[in-house]
Amino acid sequence: MSPLLELKNLGVTYTTGGGKVTAVRGVGLRLEPGDTLGVAGESGSGKSTVAMSVLRLLPRSAEVSGEILLDGEDVTTMKWGRLRAVRWAAASVVFQGAMHALNPVRKIGEQIAEPIRVHAPEGKPPSDAQLKARVAELLEQVDLPAARAGAYPHELSGGQKQRVMIAMALACEPRLIIADEPTTALDVIVQAQVLDLLGALVADHGIGLIMISHDLSVLAATCARIAVMYDGEIVEQRPSAELMNDPHHPHSQALAAAFPTVGDPVSRFAPATASPLPPEPDRSAADDRPPLLAAENLRVSFRDRTGSRIDAVAGVSLEVRRDEIVALVGQSGSGKTTLARTLLGLQKPDSGRVLYEGAAVPRGGAGLRAYRRQVQLVLQDPTSALNPRHSVYEAVAEGPRIHGLGADELGIVTKALEAAELRPAEKYFGRLPHELSGGQRQRVVIAGALALEPGMLVADEPVASLDASVRGEILGLLLRLRRELGLAALVITHDLGLAWNIADRVAVMYRGELVEVGTVEEVLLNPRHEYTKSLLAALPGGTAVRTVAER
Amino acid sequence: MTTPEKASPRAIAWQRRRASMGKVWQEFATNKGGLIGLGFLALAVVLALLAPLISDESGLDVTKAAGQPLSPPNGDFLLGTDIDGRSILLMTFWGARISLLVGFSAAILSVLIGTVIGVTAAHFGGWVSTVLLRFTDFFLVLPSLVLAIALSAVLPQGVWTVIFAIGVTAWPTTARLVRAQTLTIEGRPYIERSKALGGGHLHLIGKHVLPGVAPLVLANTTLVVGNSIIADATLAFLGVGNPAAVSWGTMLETALNNGAVTRGAWWNLLPPGIAIVLIVLAFTLVGRALETVLNPRLKGGH
Amino acid sequence: MTQALSSVDPSSALVDPDERRGGTGTARFVLTKVAEALASIVLVVVLFFFLFRMLPGDPVNFMIRDRPTDPRMIAELREKLGVDKPMLRQFVDYIGGLLHGDMGQSYIERRPVLDMIGERLWPTVLLVGSATLLAVALGLWLGVRAAWRRGSGFDRVQTGIALTLWSVPQFWLGLLLLVGTNGLFPSRGMHSPDAAPDFFSQGLDVLHHLVLPCVTLMVVFYAQYMLVMRSSLLGEMNADYLTTARAKGLRDDLVRRKHAVPNALLPTVTLVFMQFGMVVSGAVSVEAVFSWPGLGQLVYEALHGPDLPVLQGVFVVLASAVVLMNLVAELLYRVLDPRVRTA
Repeated sequence: MSPLLELKNLGVTYTTGGGKVTAVRGVGLRLEPGDTLGVAGESGSGKSTVAMSVLRLLPRSAEVSGEILLDGEDVTTMKWGRLRAVRWAAASVVFQGAMHALNPVRKIGEQIAEPIRVHAPEGKPPSDAQLKARVAELLEQVDLPAARAGAYPHELSGGQKQRVMIAMALACEPRLIIADEPTTALDVIVQAQVLDLLGALVADHGIGLIMISHDLSVLAATCARIAVMYDGEIVEQRPSAELMNDPHHPHSQALAAAFPTVGDPVSRFAPATASPLPPEPDRSAADDRPPLLAAENLRVSFRDRTGSRIDAVAGVSLEVRRDEIVALVGQSGSGKTTLARTLLGLQKPDSGRVLYEGAAVPRGGAGLRAYRRQVQLVLQDPTSALNPRHSVYEAVAEGPRIHGLGADELGIVTKALEAAELRPAEKYFGRLPHELSGGQRQRVVIAGALALEPGMLVADEPVASLDASVRGEILGLLLRLRRELGLAALVITHDLGLAWNIADRVAVMYRGELVEVGTVEEVLLNPRHEYTKSLLAALPGGTAVRTVAER
Repeated sequence: MTTPEKASPRAIAWQRRRASMGKVWQEFATNKGGLIGLGFLALAVVLALLAPLISDESGLDVTKAAGQPLSPPNGDFLLGTDIDGRSILLMTFWGARISLLVGFSAAILSVLIGTVIGVTAAHFGGWVSTVLLRFTDFFLVLPSLVLAIALSAVLPQGVWTVIFAIGVTAWPTTARLVRAQTLTIEGRPYIERSKALGGGHLHLIGKHVLPGVAPLVLANTTLVVGNSIIADATLAFLGVGNPAAVSWGTMLETALNNGAVTRGAWWNLLPPGIAIVLIVLAFTLVGRALETVLNPRLKGGH
Repeated sequence: MTQALSSVDPSSALVDPDERRGGTGTARFVLTKVAEALASIVLVVVLFFFLFRMLPGDPVNFMIRDRPTDPRMIAELREKLGVDKPMLRQFVDYIGGLLHGDMGQSYIERRPVLDMIGERLWPTVLLVGSATLLAVALGLWLGVRAAWRRGSGFDRVQTGIALTLWSVPQFWLGLLLLVGTNGLFPSRGMHSPDAAPDFFSQGLDVLHHLVLPCVTLMVVFYAQYMLVMRSSLLGEMNADYLTTARAKGLRDDLVRRKHAVPNALLPTVTLVFMQFGMVVSGAVSVEAVFSWPGLGQLVYEALHGPDLPVLQGVFVVLASAVVLMNLVAELLYRVLDPRVRTA
């Protein structure tokens, strides 16, 4: 029996304005019917190109070499008519970002029914009633009520849209599904639900699955085998459990280390960074000064579309002391970003107050400006957090200029860049953000904050948009800044592994309230609140404690 | 990219600006239409400026007209003469001065108004924004040419009236565009970062918003100049322009009302009209080329 | 930064989101928009009233055109026009008149402005309506084809033609057509005196007269609609949902017709309605060229007076028509775009 899908020496080259770029080279993969394979890699590793090449969905500038055998038939040499017949009927795709992959102006029922109609056997178009019944059946399979067929994509949540994509992929009963980062934009709990669903459906129907992801733990949870891609090539391909426990290739190791197992003592206060961390400073001196930053019963509400008020932050009290990193965890919509903005004075609270060093933070004027020297913001996506027209020097000097620290601007900027580990600083002065890597950009943002010599950083998902290998480096930098300069930080994240990596304390936020606050060990190893428990349970890699208990 | 060691901050900023200008020019130069348009405009502007030096203005005076009325193109008058016996070539040549003056001045006036209102409406939210937005929307839907006609009809006739009438009626599209672009920029996280660094309104507008909208405003201005030239000609044609000056619009108005058209004197009709089309097309080509280079949204892929 | 709030809480992912598409929302939307349009029309009335009175000079000076005139005659004229009363009084009188369908008297023809506008309204509606329909049909069709084959010969030729036509002053194009067709079509008015009185011949006669002004008006606007449709569709060309459609095995033309065009059509159609003001502006100069007996021609005639009450009346009517078209556009958009309907 021939394999379901076999890639033989696949190569893909893009022709761009600047010449030819090889995205994929010499890739060989083999998938038996009903088999599941994960393809892991960072952005630019070529994993999505491999996925898209199977149905020849690459842009016109792409040149494909090698063979792509789908059920023994080479896709690269198919005529257009045959290719159209194979698409979706033999193999379908669950696209990354269902938000954009669904047509915004057509009902989801029509979009699910469309491939059934297109691939109906010659002369026997399905009746409307048959289509309706089939769509209802498909929606039920993905746990959506059949009535949702009449909804438009924007009326669904992110998780629901991804379910619709899965239902659509199943529509023509294909033998192969290619899932390209199917859960990337989703919250942990929803991600777990979608992964469970996909895994179950694939197993029930005996469908082959290729799943693409940057997150090894996601792949390990669904796929029997994992192939790791790096720079257009497959560097390691082994059964999931083996690869997770003992990655061979340095790049696989980096990917595995980037998503630490919560509860694993090896990764506690040890983000995956190449340079060694300074030892924990002696913190025995009893600190009876007031906490550095304190929120007292903060309440922030917004008007939603219907005009009724909803509490984004519903009475939160939180303290961040000197010399500690506090992780604020919660899923999107929990109000954690609003809380951070309120702490920085970017959002006015309805009630409650923010105290810095025991004094209330003024809501405007020179007082607020002075406060902003003390507490600095680090944003999620460094690419958009830097003005693309400003050089590194200008970006870092912006803060000192605003606060009139002109005396030794060059010295301040140099010092800040070096503190953010961009050395020698002069080399970076004239660079524009697009000439830097993602990690370097985030360092520039951090340097811009450090230039004002703040007492504290508020970092909103500081590594969420960075590649796995850079993630550990930036977290290492935050930990190092705390240990060397005593810089406190409030790190907002949805990633419990991050908290386990660098935080001293964790605050769990759910629907605008803090449901649990305590040391990392207390909260993550011995959760008390139901929500914290469900967050931990949804981790695709599980937690070390649970893993031990299950054995 | 090579950066000299220990460069002064000012030098770095200038080097960056020079480099980015160079890049814009390089990209612009790949756009054939834009280049042709730019070349034509440069030529037209230089010729219009030099008109008093290389030709004799007295030929425009009806009383000093040298030719026969409505003579077709011949050796003396390459483009023929009008009803008063004046050289069409000379009139078309001099008409460029008025058209360009009105086009540029009205465009600058309207873009200025539009930019101020657009940035203000987007930057300061709240009631300021609401009021300005309503204001803009109101003027946006009004037929701007009709409004310009009304203004020119009630104000004393003259070139500045025409400029004013076009300028204060053509701004709403610019305001809309600038507002949208400002909102896009204001939504970027680097604005949030700048606020968190302590930057005030002046800092945000001066350092981030204005430099961000400037390219789009520049491209838009080019397109507005073209529209203003057409509006100027239309006003003149309807008889509410500036009858004292020889402009392309007044030439066409004369041609229709003094019987040149009914007598089939095509040489009275073609030169000023083709001049308008060419110059407006040149502005449009340059504007579109600038837009593709400067507006990241129009670039493929990003 | 508040985007996190608008995303639906995932824990309720399986619960049917509440039906936000309630009737009250739609009713409120329609009422708000109608109220806004009414407010705009009131503003238009006020604007034009004061525009014609506040700016330098008074109407009587315009009428006498700086000719030396007997002061008694001036005073008489002032009284007759009502401009001797205080401004506010004039305004109240004017509004009062408007509510009773009275837009004042023409300075020149000495008849009610409303009657004059009533006579001239339908020719303009016919001209603008037919030109807009043709321009939209042609522009959208060419725009879609040009965008889908971006960079092809067809695209480059069509875009070039459209750009050139867009740079053409309409009245000049009209003059060219007049000279160029050389009497093939009637050049003035909308009726020939010698046409047979039966309905069919009359209709044919009007159509014959309509050809040139309609083509003139259409040509420039089709170019604009084409460019807008083209860039709108180009904006959708890289959309992910088109990749989805292709992956489903749809033929290229189905991908275009069923997925790309419906998305690109929305902004274009809205723009067509929004820019109705430009068509109206265009109609003024085109009617002047062809002596088409519409509102534009009325403006042209009144400008030479200047017959201020007529100008004021026509401008109010034209501007109000544009405001109403925009109202239609906004209501239509809500019907067409599911995203706006519930948002």
